[in-house]
Amino acid sequence: MSELFVEKYPEQARLIRLAFTASFIALGVGAVFGLLQALHRTDILRIVESPTYYTLLTGHGVFLVVTFTIFFLVGLYQWAVTDSLDRGPVDPRVTWTWYGLMSAGTIITAVTILAGFLGDPPEVLGSELSADVLFTFYAPLQANPLFYVGLVVFVVGTWLAGADWFRTWLAWSRDNPDERIPLPTFMVLTTMIMWYISSIGVAIAILAFILPWSLALTESLNPTLTRTLFWYFGHAFVYFWLLPAYLLWYIVLPKLSGGRLFSDPLARVVFILFVLLSTPVGIHHQYLDPGISEGFKFIAMTNTMFLLLPSLLTAFTVVASMEHGARQRGGEGTFNWLRALPWRDPAFTGMALAGIVFAFGGFTGIVNAGMNINYLVHNSVWIPGHIHTQVGTAVALTLMAGSYWLVPQLTGNRLVNRQAGLVQVVLWFLGIVFMTNSMYRAGLFGVPRRTAEPEYSFEYDIGVGSMAELNVQLALGGTLLFVSAMLFLGIMLLTAFNDDTEPLVDGTIPPALSGPEDSPPVLDNLRLWIAIALVLVVIAYIIPLASIVDRGGLFGPDIGPFPVFVQITDAIPTVFYSLGALIA
Amino acid sequence: MRISPPRLLLIVAFVLVVFLEARTVLAFFGVAVSPLESAIAAVAVIAVLVYWGTRPVDEEPTEE
Amino acid sequence: MNIHTYERLWIVGAMVLIVGFIATITYGSVGLGITMIDDEEETLAPDEIGEDERFADPRVEQVGEDEYAAYVVAQTFVFQPDPIEIPADSEVTFYVTSRDVIHSFTVVGTNTNTMVIPGEVATMTVEFDEPGEYGVICNEYCGAGHHDMEGELTVVEAEEFDLTDLAVDAPDEVEPGEEVELTATVENGLLEEVETTLTVEIGEETIEEEVVVEGGTSEEITTSVDADDLGEGDHDWTVEVDDESDGGTVTVGTDDGGDES
Repeated sequence: MSELFVEKYPEQARLIRLAFTASFIALGVGAVFGLLQALHRTDILRIVESPTYYTLLTGHGVFLVVTFTIFFLVGLYQWAVTDSLDRGPVDPRVTWTWYGLMSAGTIITAVTILAGFLGDPPEVLGSELSADVLFTFYAPLQANPLFYVGLVVFVVGTWLAGADWFRTWLAWSRDNPDERIPLPTFMVLTTMIMWYISSIGVAIAILAFILPWSLALTESLNPTLTRTLFWYFGHAFVYFWLLPAYLLWYIVLPKLSGGRLFSDPLARVVFILFVLLSTPVGIHHQYLDPGISEGFKFIAMTNTMFLLLPSLLTAFTVVASMEHGARQRGGEGTFNWLRALPWRDPAFTGMALAGIVFAFGGFTGIVNAGMNINYLVHNSVWIPGHIHTQVGTAVALTLMAGSYWLVPQLTGNRLVNRQAGLVQVVLWFLGIVFMTNSMYRAGLFGVPRRTAEPEYSFEYDIGVGSMAELNVQLALGGTLLFVSAMLFLGIMLLTAFNDDTEPLVDGTIPPALSGPEDSPPVLDNLRLWIAIALVLVVIAYIIPLASIVDRGGLFGPDIGPFPVFVQITDAIPTVFYSLGALIA
Repeated sequence: MRISPPRLLLIVAFVLVVFLEARTVLAFFGVAVSPLESAIAAVAVIAVLVYWGTRPVDEEPTEE
Repeated sequence: MNIHTYERLWIVGAMVLIVGFIATITYGSVGLGITMIDDEEETLAPDEIGEDERFADPRVEQVGEDEYAAYVVAQTFVFQPDPIEIPADSEVTFYVTSRDVIHSFTVVGTNTNTMVIPGEVATMTVEFDEPGEYGVICNEYCGAGHHDMEGELTVVEAEEFDLTDLAVDAPDEVEPGEEVELTATVENGLLEEVETTLTVEIGEETIEEEVVVEGGTSEEITTSVDADDLGEGDHDWTVEVDDESDGGTVTVGTDDGGDES
């Protein structure tokens, strides 16, 4: 057994522990909000007024898909870079700076969201402290400017984190001039290239349009433009959640199965495909938007379908690696090798179950991507069904399972109660199946997403069963997920304070069966892939964006702000304007 | 025990999933199963599984 | 690059699957003619909706034989018009715009579904085969009252569908011995001529008149009743044509003409 990570890199381990702490706090809050939403939507228990549901919904989205996933990502990537390059950062002050920026950004944004629960929120920067705009913040819905400021600070933190990892790698390659980039570091660098290319979009949307407009420095904006810029970023954003899970599937899962990664070169190909294809597909979120021509939607559709390729390749490599591991453990036969896998290990079982759910969710994603079928499911509760199978399970469950393996190495403490961990991952699996089965079915009958009260004066034509049954199923699933999340957090908390220092974890990653020597060196030519990715982005986006600006103008056809925090009865934008003008 | 508790747990979980999804699939072929019937069937199957899984091995020497 | 034989097969299979998906969707677009929401309409700023001839008065209008246009405005937290009435078996093009934030116009249980973005006009042409009532909802979060945003779409048999409008001019008071004259203006919004029956009820009397109105025009029909036949006091009247009706009260005699409440 090799030296533990925490003993070798104590400062890195501390930073990663703090990143995971932030991530898990967000998971806890997000899970509470999620439970309240599941019970509210289904009208089983409504402890808040329906308008406040949207505060819960905004918090659930931001805390889980921004804070939970990305704080986990930076922790995991810090581990991956440090462990695979066998060295710490060039300047630890930079590392702590990005951690500080991300934390500060999270706190600023969290305050604006949580202030939505106050009966009488204070005035800050010319408007009420509130941000009931959901994590997509489509203008002209408007949040307090601080909401956007917090997001910007957070994203700048992630940019700095990426720069920090690049710097570590450059320093490493000066010392090791002839070596291939180690696979984990390769995955980190390619993920961050994708993140840089895509987050330009949301940065422009916020800094050039939404933030000045929320401060009343500009009078109006073009909602189609800001929405398109958001989705330019938005689909790469979902891969930003997913790629840490991919890293765990490629690097850790084969090892947990008892074997080695099947193919290093194809793992690199997969990550390059994500760099190339995850941004020029964003318009598939806008199939039903007016103001964007059908041709651009068709291009986005074909690009999206080709994005299936890296995921299908992953399915092969991951299953092949697991089979190899099982056979190393004495598994035999065509399917009997499955029994030789270490099912009692929650880290393994969690990732395996997440993979199964991901495969299923991938097929629902193909439905979403099919642009003419999209009419049927767009913005129905089918879509959150898809999101919860993908980010809510493929990603979240993999990250939780990965924690069972990683946290003991970061703390030097033995994982408490592996059996409870196994129950936790199985509960999550069951919860998500119950909840999303209900969501998918209800979505097909037109039940909408993102609403406090999905039942109207008409009756839904439910094909199988009844609305009541679907509601019970959704609430049951949501409750199981909540219990599972709390169990996970409990295990993590007890492990953090566990005095038993026999961690029983082997942190070494065995080399791949088909190693980097089999992969052409061009795969490591990051400059080339950046250039191709930029060309693809320009091809896919320059004409649609030009067309949108040409039609509606950079600052839009006189779209005034719509401050959602103002009561419906006194929705007077003029009040807002004058308050903003006083500050400005 | 004929089967280790982790495996029994996983099999029970998959049985639940199969029963949940089976209703929709059967309805597609025109077979209507009510939630209650479905739940009773699932509980029955799981009870049999648990009974079988927790019986001592020596009754039947050929282990699964 | 060293790729395992099985993995090569898998990659080939994956590519076939991907191309197959693209082919089916292309068939849906080209072969079945499922067009996407497009950018064919000019932009329309929300504060110009009032001056736009389509949206100033949100309504359904006939634009050709079995072809209709429905102009819909979405705003927090209502749709106008509501309910929307359209004929079955006809091509209906919805034009939808927003007065404030992003909404959607979604006919539940159908694939009539579009985002409604302020500044843009979404259009989609659909055909309903069966008469019925459908819920219309906004499925994009639009503010605190989002869940209350609901409308209704009524699809009626093509033969029963009309765009008839009725206005009635009637006196409030009539002296005994004079005539009570009701002038009904029947407007036909359809392009074809409409034959229908105008029913006037006043007091105990019922008068039915056959009316023929050319497409896109209106007819005035005057019916009269002798005030003495009604007798002194208040008399309720109603005028009905197709689904439209109007009603009121006429008083015969001024001095002691019954209770004034």
